[in-house]
Amino acid sequence: MIYGKIVRSPYPHAKVVSIDLSAAEKAPGVKATLAYMKAGDEVHYQGDPVAAVAADTEERARDAARLIRVRYEALPQVSSEAQGMQLIGPRWSTTQPNTRAGQRAETGDLDAGFKQAAHIVEQTYSTHIITHVCLETHGAVCEWDGDKLTAWVSTQGVHQCAQGYAQALGIPQTNVRVITQYMGGGFGSKFAPDSQGIICAKLAKAAGVPVKLMLDRKEEHLDTGNRPSAFAKIKAGVSSDGKLTAFDGTSWGTGGAGASSGFPLPYLYQFPNRKRVHTDVYINAGQQRAMRAPGHPQGCFLTEILMDELADRVKMDPVEFRIKNAPPLAPNAQWVKYFAEGAKRFGWDKRHATGDPTPGPIKTGMGVSAHLWGGAGRGSTAHVDIMSDGSVVVKCGTQDLGTGTRTLVAIVAAETFGLPVSGVKPEIGDTLYPFSGGSGGSTTAASVTPAIRVTSLNALDALFAKVAPTLGVTPDQLAAEGGRIFVKGNSSKGLSWKDACKLIGTEPISVDGKWEDGLSSSGTSGVQFAEVEVDIETGIVRIKRILAMQDCGLIVDKLTAESQAYGGVVAAINFALFEDRILDRVTGQMVNPNMEWYLLAGMSDIPKIDIVLNNMPERGVIGIGEPPTVSTASAIANAVRNATGATIRSLPLHPHKVLAAIEQERAGGTN
Amino acid sequence: MEHLTSPKLTPGVHCLSLRHKGMYVTSMPYPEESQFYDSYDATAYWCVETQRGFGPDGASVRPDCCTGERDCCKH
Amino acid sequence: MKAFAYVNPTSEKEAVAALKTDGIAMVIGGGQDLLSRMKDYIDSPDRVVNVKGLDATVTATSDGGVKIGSAVKIVDLAEHAAVMSLYPSVAAAAIEVGTPQIRNQGTVGGNINQRPRCWYFRNEEFVCYKKGGSRCFAVNGENQYHAIFGNDGPSHIVHPSSLAVPFVAYGAKFRVLGPNGEREIAAADYFTMPTLANVLKENVLDDEDILTHVILPAPGNVKHGHYEVRYKQSHDWPLAFTTVVLVMNGVNGTSGANGTSGSTIRSARVVLGAVAPVPWRSRPAEDALAGKALNEATAALAGEAAISEAKPMSGNAYKIQIAKTAVKRAVMRAAGIKTV
Repeated sequence: MIYGKIVRSPYPHAKVVSIDLSAAEKAPGVKATLAYMKAGDEVHYQGDPVAAVAADTEERARDAARLIRVRYEALPQVSSEAQGMQLIGPRWSTTQPNTRAGQRAETGDLDAGFKQAAHIVEQTYSTHIITHVCLETHGAVCEWDGDKLTAWVSTQGVHQCAQGYAQALGIPQTNVRVITQYMGGGFGSKFAPDSQGIICAKLAKAAGVPVKLMLDRKEEHLDTGNRPSAFAKIKAGVSSDGKLTAFDGTSWGTGGAGASSGFPLPYLYQFPNRKRVHTDVYINAGQQRAMRAPGHPQGCFLTEILMDELADRVKMDPVEFRIKNAPPLAPNAQWVKYFAEGAKRFGWDKRHATGDPTPGPIKTGMGVSAHLWGGAGRGSTAHVDIMSDGSVVVKCGTQDLGTGTRTLVAIVAAETFGLPVSGVKPEIGDTLYPFSGGSGGSTTAASVTPAIRVTSLNALDALFAKVAPTLGVTPDQLAAEGGRIFVKGNSSKGLSWKDACKLIGTEPISVDGKWEDGLSSSGTSGVQFAEVEVDIETGIVRIKRILAMQDCGLIVDKLTAESQAYGGVVAAINFALFEDRILDRVTGQMVNPNMEWYLLAGMSDIPKIDIVLNNMPERGVIGIGEPPTVSTASAIANAVRNATGATIRSLPLHPHKVLAAIEQERAGGTN
Repeated sequence: MEHLTSPKLTPGVHCLSLRHKGMYVTSMPYPEESQFYDSYDATAYWCVETQRGFGPDGASVRPDCCTGERDCCKH
Repeated sequence: MKAFAYVNPTSEKEAVAALKTDGIAMVIGGGQDLLSRMKDYIDSPDRVVNVKGLDATVTATSDGGVKIGSAVKIVDLAEHAAVMSLYPSVAAAAIEVGTPQIRNQGTVGGNINQRPRCWYFRNEEFVCYKKGGSRCFAVNGENQYHAIFGNDGPSHIVHPSSLAVPFVAYGAKFRVLGPNGEREIAAADYFTMPTLANVLKENVLDDEDILTHVILPAPGNVKHGHYEVRYKQSHDWPLAFTTVVLVMNGVNGTSGANGTSGSTIRSARVVLGAVAPVPWRSRPAEDALAGKALNEATAALAGEAAISEAKPMSGNAYKIQIAKTAVKRAVMRAAGIKTV
């Protein structure tokens, strides 16, 4: 195996003048080079791939990549949303406009809604760009056997990746095998081979040996996706009795070089009269990708900060105000219940009104926020073999992106067979196994577990058919539990699993099955509470506690479900306080493409997190990967507002913003 | 995820190489979604042939541009 | 990373000799700074000289101070009994460095001599003054973590060393060995403000010099306070931090010369970190403290005085408030007053 390295544009916007591979070809250890772009091509962001090299060691590949001489003609770049929206100034592309009108939606009568309002809040809110920061970077190992490709990819979709390889390389999809046994995080950014996966395969073909190409942290920040920014100028009205009356929002944001930036607005709460107009702004920076609940954290933040401002106008408690304006209680809409229950658990009654009155520089505050997600799956297929020695293998072409999918596969099959989890071998993460969807949209649990259940039941039926004659009953009279197959109502009449399986003979039980309706459903709700301490002399925010109230239908495995909620909350703490993709305003290049200045919480930055899962078995399985990360940042920002009395309407809650907001509040507030 | 968050692509109109996450995820629509917010597009698109957000011609990959008018479009 | 020769000297003299080369030679201690720069192609030395094998001990000096070998691990400094009792602010600064892994690997010499953490310096794309270029990108760029003192340029970095600040505050001397022998330099004079002529480095070390020891004088009748403000609590560079060393009137609570209690400040050293291209000694804060009773009001005055010289850049005025708070709270700590 040798190692690949990609040469990327240092410029955010340029034309490629020439690419000279000759010096790199002669460098020690180099086995293959390729030009990914050609003279005349336009690069649209720093990190745009231009050429590549493969060498016998990673270090030599890196050194050789620097010998590929690319000449560029630098073009003026767009480095910010504000710059992109200027009528005169730099263009992100030589052929495409800087902005595009996005969605427009209007409901009810806006004028009438504002007439009903006793109070109106008019402010601009925003969230920033963060990257996925998968601890395992994007990349692959590609090995060719003739015109057959095996690719070990860090991916959220093995079958989906196989299609990508086939179509990009012009080979039959049946010639591609993709394997992902374990992977270290995707968060929505790993559904395709991407340029690096295809470059890896091409280098392997050219070199005639397997190539490993994993991106480094800098490449990861620049070219593997991000969460788009979101801005909105909002005018919203509330009646004297605390009912939302009207919402008029003009929003914009950037998904980078030519990519969308939409998000839901207003979020969740019921504004009967509303209008929203969105504009996508394109800038010379890496393109967005789906990132853990795409659009929701942005829309949630923009709406939830507004909600606390409106609540203060009508002098209502934020929880009470939200209950008053939340969608009505339904199986998939539990907010009213969670607001009330959560407030009790959290000690919300100890919350003071906006602005901690206690003396000293440390101010404490509480905040609340709510979210929703879909999380319904379908379409997974699976295969089960039961051998005559009693061993069981369950195969499904899903993958475990760190959520515990492998565990769920084993748990569901084992429970169906009445076996311990160790009695079942779960095989996933390989295109040799039956088709399953990509792991995104929180759909995996709801797609895969019904398929495993159905397929396991099919296999069990086949086993019962083999065992029934021996026990002198019909198959429908049998049950499997506690490692035994026995007659229902007469548990002593039966066989151990092992003895039962001896009846299978030489030809194993080998059955297929697929997802069926009725075992899963859609729609989850969550509410989160945060308590913070703000040092008003330094602007430093410390989070003391988070409470997450969350449902996900039937909880298949408490440990992995809670783990998703913990992970979502931790990621959102980073979104609220630390992570920030910072582009140099002059050159458009990222100044913090690392983990030193791209800040991520450490152990001391993580507070006590309480997860309260509401088990709703009657609803079947629903995904939980995305929802818990949506509302944490809003709850934290509202807690900071409650602590300081100053409203920060943009993320992250950097000390400079906290201090500025406190300063502004002392000078008389924003209005 | 062919619901509010990502527009449906129309065969014959949109290029066959156009991809987004929703096409690779076996999800079910969330029928009540429209109760909580209006439609929006948060979707990231890419071209299955180039494996990036720019098509073979170097221009953006999105439903509004990946239609019959482009030379690289496949139908 | 460019291929390099590795030299493993067994004595200080050998180390100095190994630095003599036609190419570029660099010293490696814990390596956490140098190796990062090499991997990122910020520096590409031909020869790397390992100094981890040099003096790694903390020893008592005849005048009641301590001598710290530059190869002492940061963790060992932080946990050294004599350091903790005589120079608590050195121990406090040491324990705030990086992470346990970094403190276990990093050395005193490496902490003092590490290159700036400025994001323009650390990214290859930006050919700044410190990489032989002709501009400081922070001036018109992203300067939220850059200097608020000593901003005459040409470079606007903040000095990255956490240990340098208390060393200057305690009046340490740095022992340097070069081809022409040994010399001792006051810590305050070791670090250099940037000029066009010397902008490529942050201190007085010549190419063939090594820092061998830090020598701390006996502290005398002093009170000490150290306060650091970080954005993250785990593994982050400070936004501002301060060591104050206060020489008190009177001894052990006896009355001072002017008849006031023993808690009157005779003179003060106030040094700020992460705010200037060098460990920043604040004379206005020192003047504000001299002769005053040691209490919270005096601490606040010192904080105000410290920032009188501040000259922020376009995006870092917020650090003035943080620096003011750090000075105030360091003085409060020296007074034994609870801060937060």
